Amino acid sequence: MTAYLIRRLLTVVPVLAVVVTVVFLLIHLIPGDPVSVMLGPDATLAQIQATRQALGLDRPLHEQLFKFYARVVRGDLGQSYFLDRPVVTALLERAEPTLVLTFSALLVAIVIGVPSGIVAAAYQGSLWDRTLMLISLLGVCVPGFWLSLNFIYLFAVRLGWLPAAGYASILADPMAALRYMVLPAVSLGFNQSALIARISRSCMLEALQQDYIRTARAKGVSQRSVMWVHAFRNALVPVITVVGITMAILIGGAVVTEIVFNIPGLGRLIISAVLRRDYPVVQGVILVTATAYVLINLVVDVLYVFIDPRIRYG
Amino acid sequence: MADPGARPTWRRHAARNRNIAIGAAILAVVILAALLAGVISTHDPRRLNPAQRLKAPSAANFLGTDEFGRDVYSLVLHGAQVSLLVGATTMILTSLWGIVIGLIAGYYRRVDMALMRVMDGLMAFPAILLAIALMAARGPGIGNVIFALSVVYTPRTAMLIRSTVLSLRELDYVQAARALGRRDLAIAFRHILPNCVGPLLVQASFIFAYAILAEAILGFLGVGVPPYVPSWGNVIASGKNVIREAFWVSLFPGLALTISGLSLNLLGDGLRDVLDPRLRVQ
Amino acid sequence: MSSSLSRKYVPLALAALMLIAGGPLTAEAQKKGGILKVGNLGEPPSLDAHWTTASITETLTNHIYEGLYSLDSDNRPIPMLAESHTVSKDGLVYTFKLRQGVKFHNGKEMTSEDVVPSLARWGKQSIYGKALFAQVAEWKALDKYTVEMKLKEKSAIVLISLAVPNNFGAIYPKEIVEKFAPEVKATEYVGTGPFKLAEWKPDQYIRMVRFDDYKSRNEKPNGYGGGKTAYLDEVRFQPVPEVATRVAQVETGELDFADDLNLDAYDRLKANPNLRPLVSKPYYWLVAVLNKKEGLMTNQKLRQAWQAAIDIEPIMKNVAGGRAEFYRMDSSLAMTEIVSWHTKLSGLPWNEHNRAKVQKLLQEAGYKKEPIRFMTTQEYKWMYDFALLTKQQLEDLGFNIDLQVVDWATLVKRRNNPKEYDAFTTGIGAFYDPTHAVFLTASWPGWTTDEDIQKLQAELARETDPKKRVALWEQQTRLFYDKVPVIRYGDLFGLRAIRNTTKGFNEKTERIRFYNVWVEK
Repeated sequence: MTAYLIRRLLTVVPVLAVVVTVVFLLIHLIPGDPVSVMLGPDATLAQIQATRQALGLDRPLHEQLFKFYARVVRGDLGQSYFLDRPVVTALLERAEPTLVLTFSALLVAIVIGVPSGIVAAAYQGSLWDRTLMLISLLGVCVPGFWLSLNFIYLFAVRLGWLPAAGYASILADPMAALRYMVLPAVSLGFNQSALIARISRSCMLEALQQDYIRTARAKGVSQRSVMWVHAFRNALVPVITVVGITMAILIGGAVVTEIVFNIPGLGRLIISAVLRRDYPVVQGVILVTATAYVLINLVVDVLYVFIDPRIRYG
Repeated sequence: MADPGARPTWRRHAARNRNIAIGAAILAVVILAALLAGVISTHDPRRLNPAQRLKAPSAANFLGTDEFGRDVYSLVLHGAQVSLLVGATTMILTSLWGIVIGLIAGYYRRVDMALMRVMDGLMAFPAILLAIALMAARGPGIGNVIFALSVVYTPRTAMLIRSTVLSLRELDYVQAARALGRRDLAIAFRHILPNCVGPLLVQASFIFAYAILAEAILGFLGVGVPPYVPSWGNVIASGKNVIREAFWVSLFPGLALTISGLSLNLLGDGLRDVLDPRLRVQ
Repeated sequence: MSSSLSRKYVPLALAALMLIAGGPLTAEAQKKGGILKVGNLGEPPSLDAHWTTASITETLTNHIYEGLYSLDSDNRPIPMLAESHTVSKDGLVYTFKLRQGVKFHNGKEMTSEDVVPSLARWGKQSIYGKALFAQVAEWKALDKYTVEMKLKEKSAIVLISLAVPNNFGAIYPKEIVEKFAPEVKATEYVGTGPFKLAEWKPDQYIRMVRFDDYKSRNEKPNGYGGGKTAYLDEVRFQPVPEVATRVAQVETGELDFADDLNLDAYDRLKANPNLRPLVSKPYYWLVAVLNKKEGLMTNQKLRQAWQAAIDIEPIMKNVAGGRAEFYRMDSSLAMTEIVSWHTKLSGLPWNEHNRAKVQKLLQEAGYKKEPIRFMTTQEYKWMYDFALLTKQQLEDLGFNIDLQVVDWATLVKRRNNPKEYDAFTTGIGAFYDPTHAVFLTASWPGWTTDEDIQKLQAELARETDPKKRVALWEQQTRLFYDKVPVIRYGDLFGLRAIRNTTKGFNEKTERIRFYNVWVEK
């Protein structure tokens, strides 16, 4: 097991190296001179030269790449042109809302998805099952941002149950934070809950047909007990793997959700940065999110090892 | 894995599978509507008609008008063109690139390691964020949207092809072919590719669906095609400020998106059921 | 006075004063305290008042800084940080006496050693400052509380220039002026205003808290000037770029005040019992600014063709959400509310929408359907609206318009570069003196360098007789419609919403101010 873990840990390094390279290359995809585009048309020639030198853009490509690696490893992601502060600072300021949103959405997705899938599996073929699966199919196809708009209209404007937009920090005011998070988390998590429901259902079905379940039943263990103790635990394993992929989708979906609900997170940051041609910030955001995704998957894989006895010694 | 010698039975199964039938039917309608947009539209979708702004659906405007008096029905139809164009082109490009990369990776072990790390790296970026970043670099425009989405989705296809290749390489008849001195490319085309078609089709339908949705999201965020170009994302975006006074503006393109996504997901599910029982979601 | 007497008479005197002052004290009792949440369009490009004409900056900086003068409810200059002024007989020397004991937010007292460098910096960077200082021969301190301005020639615009709130002559401490050159954005914010900057988190909020040592003037509040009291503990400006969200948030009470709302929301705001919509007049007149330095629009005939082509009313109506109460058709360069400068001239080639004339002008211009790069933004919805409608109208008449939709920050950057565009959209807000019409200056984007226009502007700056000035202004207006430096559309009004718990708000000023405002929750 340790050997597997070490190997798994090591694969992270080249992947992150690729991530950093892609982020680096982004600036070089810009048609024309990236520096004039970044600084804008009223930059003087002297400013352009200075920035070009500071960014090292006048050196050969491979040299620039190494310098970029060095900077990233040091934790220096450059300076934001619009915000007049280091990119890292800007990212740290905005990280909390995105983290809260993403994890809340994940929670929603699991809390809605897993029980739905299990119930559907337990009553396979019934009306329950078919209805749940239909809803989950729609859930996968409905665009999240469109759902957000409709949720705001219904729950905030028409019914007045929840705030239309905004964000309160959990650290500052937990009750308010909760109220503000409900609509965004649900509209973001809904898509994923559908996916998780379908996967839970199929895993549950598969697990229910396993030999050892039949054996347990044959032994006379009660139905309830069979389901919840044996099948559930085994059905959970694939769900955990899905969590990794789900996180990636959620982080991406968070962008739109933050825009619609005016949440001051990384998603809104990257959109403003794109509109303002603040490339260092754009690079910073995708670097951080990709790294987070890689690390999350690492954690998931490690957890997997501990949960699934079958692969432990594989 | 099916014996490549026997005639594929999946075609027969496909015809009987309900998901495929429904999915394909809906998709056909959508494609038809997009192709015939010029003919079956009632108005020029770009024509501003300020006197008719925010009118509810009526005989004159089947799905109502937006804030400039543009006909929503015509906008949705023409928007389908953009969505399908982006979706289909992305799907084709990712498939092609995926095949090339997947074949090379699956076949040549040495290159495989490097290629797979690159693919893993690319897949580490949340799709929409990478697309946004690429749009930031390249600027607006439909070509750039397609480029961005292709870069984002190619790795998935590449991984799929690669794993198919890996599982096929070791088969006897492939090894035999190699022993006989058949060129790699010929082996690839005659023996390996045909067996990739199945999983590829499944993957392609999902990528088509993702790409359509991604284009809409980029448009909604203002980083896709220019705002006055009819596209589902743009129309939903323009309707979001008047969602109370004129809910139809955002509603119908949203429905169109959902229906298109639905058809492709059904198609993908059905194809997966039929082509690869291992992946079947019961 | 002995203490026992004062104990008797002071309360009486106070009571008498209260009766005389009357008004607000008897109607609703102001409450000290509370946080007011204000939703606006977006981030200010800077909080350096000298640096930019952006209206968001104007609104924010007028809470934390003050100038020597301010505008009263008739848009005339009244003293703010100045105590009084005298003018020499020949009109060439202005001597200003400063108020004493006015503190900056950092505790330092404001004196002439702060005023002189502040306004010198303003004179180098601000549009209005540059216009004034072009006429200034010498500007210096005479003593701690007196400053003197020696002019090269007689000027009509000294006080008004020092009074306008936009891009204004804010008084900074001398240390900050020395730290930041005029063309560099100041990034330290210390002023004398009733609020001081507590925190600026870009894209999240700008927090301003009450400045307890603020020295208010004794008069009643009057327009932008007079007495200012910060009842609120804090004003929190929150950028909410999505207008639908801004509206929704003021409806639910998450915002106490929302600015720059879309006009379609008027009906439902009216129906909401917890708030009321405010129609802000004046707001802007819509303008397409033409690049007269380089490119297609250097051709006067082409500019005249555009002017002759547009049918303004349907455009205005659409931009105004279909409602007549939100726009006004007017050709005057100063809006109706600026009474002194509003003109009612007839026979101007405004809103002609004359097809034949357009064809003729296009031909005379030698226009061969080259694409005209027209920049706009969706961030100010009305800009995008009138740009799109214009594009259609013009293209129907033979123009070829390349509409480029960018974000506001990019547009503001690009409009300084004559290579980047041929026309861009913006709005002209209220200006209080003809010399402050930015679209008639040579340095503002678009670069109106026409000799005849510049000559008239210079005369307007010199001429002190009000009647003669009006005549000059009318002359300038006619010249404007012949030379067409920019394309004037109609007047648009704005929509704001204020919750009923917010009291004391002055609805008559063009821009929003939150001193003298309190909440009752």
